[in-house]
Amino acid sequence: MVIKHKFILKTENAWSDANEGLLCMDTGSWRTARPVLDKEKCNYCGLCALYCPPQCMKDMGDYYEVDLAYCKGCGVCAKECPRDVISMVPEGEFTDG
Amino acid sequence: MAKAQKGQVRVITGNAAAAYGAMLCRPDVATSYPITPMSEVAEQLSAFRADGLVDTEMVEVEGENSAMNVVTAASMAGGRVFTATSSWGLVFMYDAVQQASGFRAPVVMAIANRETPGILAVSGGQQDIISMRDTGWIQIIVEDCQEILDSVIMAFRLAEDFDIQLPVMVNYDGFYLSYLATAVEIPEREDADQFLAPLKQQPERPRLVPGEPLSCGTHGIEIGFMELRYKHCAALERATAKLDEIDKEFGEIFGRSYGGQIEEYRTEDAEIVLVTSGSATGTARTVVDAKRAEGIKVGLVKLRLFRPFPRKRLAEALKGKKAIGVIDRSVGFGWNCGPMYMEIRALTPEIGIIPMLSYIDGLANLDITIPHIERVIDEVSAAAQGKPYQEVTWIPMEE
Amino acid sequence: MVEGTKKRNKIFDYFREKEELYAGGVAWCPGCTLELTARFVPKVLGKDMVLVGCPGCSAPVFYGQNVGTWHRMTYYSCLMTGVPSSATGLARYYKKIGKDATIVCFTGDGCAADIGFQPLSGAAERNENIIYICYDNEGYMNTGYQRSSTTPLGAWTSTTPVGIAGKGKPTPSKNMPLIMAMHGAVYVATATLSHLEDFAKKLLKAKEKKDEGFAYIHVFAPCLMGWRIEPDSSIEVCRAAVRTNYFPLWEAENGKFRLTHEVASPKPVTELTKLMRKFSHLKEDGLAELQKVADERYALIKSLCDASK
Repeated sequence: MVIKHKFILKTENAWSDANEGLLCMDTGSWRTARPVLDKEKCNYCGLCALYCPPQCMKDMGDYYEVDLAYCKGCGVCAKECPRDVISMVPEGEFTDG
Repeated sequence: MAKAQKGQVRVITGNAAAAYGAMLCRPDVATSYPITPMSEVAEQLSAFRADGLVDTEMVEVEGENSAMNVVTAASMAGGRVFTATSSWGLVFMYDAVQQASGFRAPVVMAIANRETPGILAVSGGQQDIISMRDTGWIQIIVEDCQEILDSVIMAFRLAEDFDIQLPVMVNYDGFYLSYLATAVEIPEREDADQFLAPLKQQPERPRLVPGEPLSCGTHGIEIGFMELRYKHCAALERATAKLDEIDKEFGEIFGRSYGGQIEEYRTEDAEIVLVTSGSATGTARTVVDAKRAEGIKVGLVKLRLFRPFPRKRLAEALKGKKAIGVIDRSVGFGWNCGPMYMEIRALTPEIGIIPMLSYIDGLANLDITIPHIERVIDEVSAAAQGKPYQEVTWIPMEE
Repeated sequence: MVEGTKKRNKIFDYFREKEELYAGGVAWCPGCTLELTARFVPKVLGKDMVLVGCPGCSAPVFYGQNVGTWHRMTYYSCLMTGVPSSATGLARYYKKIGKDATIVCFTGDGCAADIGFQPLSGAAERNENIIYICYDNEGYMNTGYQRSSTTPLGAWTSTTPVGIAGKGKPTPSKNMPLIMAMHGAVYVATATLSHLEDFAKKLLKAKEKKDEGFAYIHVFAPCLMGWRIEPDSSIEVCRAAVRTNYFPLWEAENGKFRLTHEVASPKPVTELTKLMRKFSHLKEDGLAELQKVADERYALIKSLCDASK
């Protein structure tokens, strides 16, 4: 028997190694609505970033910005914002998505 | 390696021999859940710990399933581990047993064999070995108390070998050997250390270290899964010759060796061969000698390695013989013959079409007696001469 | 512009780990509380831990795939029957070689309360140096929303369906955190995602006490799909569970019980049940029974707290 397959695992057994970068999904494409933050009204309390399940609110120093590559569009940030400065806008209204 | 000094000879049971073997290998973590007839292994190990003979972390688990999980995890973290069980205990850890082999965790487990399925039997039998046949473990079956101790030490050398990295079961007949006290030579600590020392010179296997981004376990998807399976099977194949090597080296150091995968007894000029495993082999050897004295050219093969199956060496030993008889202490459900017989029959292309007779005997502590083995040899001998024969015989049912 | 008032919530001070240990995009549902729990725990505990987990909703992210992983943590995967026992093996081995390690079991309620309960009970009794975090989504949500022993009374699940004869789950949930406290564990606490500071404090306390022995944290983690909740409401549901005393926040430190967040005027459980559709079939009597269970359980925990004073 000739084995043509080139082994893809370095070890004998099932070890997952994160030293060479992470696997990642395009979860941004799941989104049907995106959070839009009014940074003028944002008081940087960080609750949106704290509660964001995929933790994709980027800390911009005095406000937050959503990372659209990963935001799944769940809307938790908008719901939890105590100042209502985040609104969920349907993706259809954007041309970059 | 230097020859070992003469060890202390003590009269100990098979269970104690297993515990002594483990103790001499200084496991990092050991655990065991008591079950008849192996509970003494757990007690002995705890006593060694209490007496300060080992600094093993002993975990008194709440069930066999946990026992196997404890040792598998400790093994993947880099530790040397040992556990022991029997029968239903082995069955209760079935999922974890398969995880251990899939993880390629070099766990060593002593098993005092006992009957398993369906019918409750607090008595010996090898059915529990058979139920583990497809778990991907290395399965060694031994004959007497000295061999238990020696095989546990050899099992660590085999399991932890970098080219192998597989868990090993050391099987011995429950009741017959577990409670039988015989004289056993116990190797000295430094000699056992010396025998295991080569394991320290090989490359280190991957291990789980807190804070390092390495995970144990992965979804083997697409060809990745197949690759892991292929590697596992290849390691099992390598284990056959490796066991022979280790057994030979053990013999050179300690003056005792067991033939590795199989032990042949008077097979060279034999016309017919009897195949046995475990404690019944001793009886068979006596009968073979007696039959030889009568002029019957009979030999004996003791099957020591059940998984991986010693195909090559068995074929060499059985090739050219006129007939063979296989005594099983278990049944092959759905085949109505002995499981070891069934596997040997699969070697027909290598050994040729000859009469092969299956004998099922000794279930649930029934003795495999001298008259039983005499009968087997007589029937195999007759079959070799071209007389009609019955393929499968449940010996005690025909008495 | 809101000058002068821009101040970040102090909860961020509890984060030991600044680096995000997960990939940005991982396979958890939008709005999932498990995702938040899984990302929150290492931020507070730090990455120098070993996570032990099993099949379930956490597995698709925790397990790698052939040559890569979704996170940078040290993870040991095992079967549902082997989480605390595997953690025991790791903890004991690291102890033997003198390696400091924080061993964290991370499983759902199906593993903790049902199929993996025996080893959990065993490890707690042996007082192993393990932190066990159970994310409780009140059922076998991963396999398709079947009931578990922590599914509440009357709840719809795919194996306790509602129909002419079916009325949802006929028995109340197993009171897991209290059962674990009764094991005499060094530290037992309840937590949820709406009260993250409370959760962080409890994680840190569990870590602080890990050398003393076993710690168990029971996290109320709603499943949006299985409970039929709107994706943006997951945190609101957690908050409602606390405010109705359906899921009181308490801790038991060396057997001393304490409410960590006492609700001044608790709302009726209907304030919680109205947020999801798994209770939508319940009529007044069904809701009254659910309220009764919540009241009795709260009274029990309250009396334990009072007795501890």
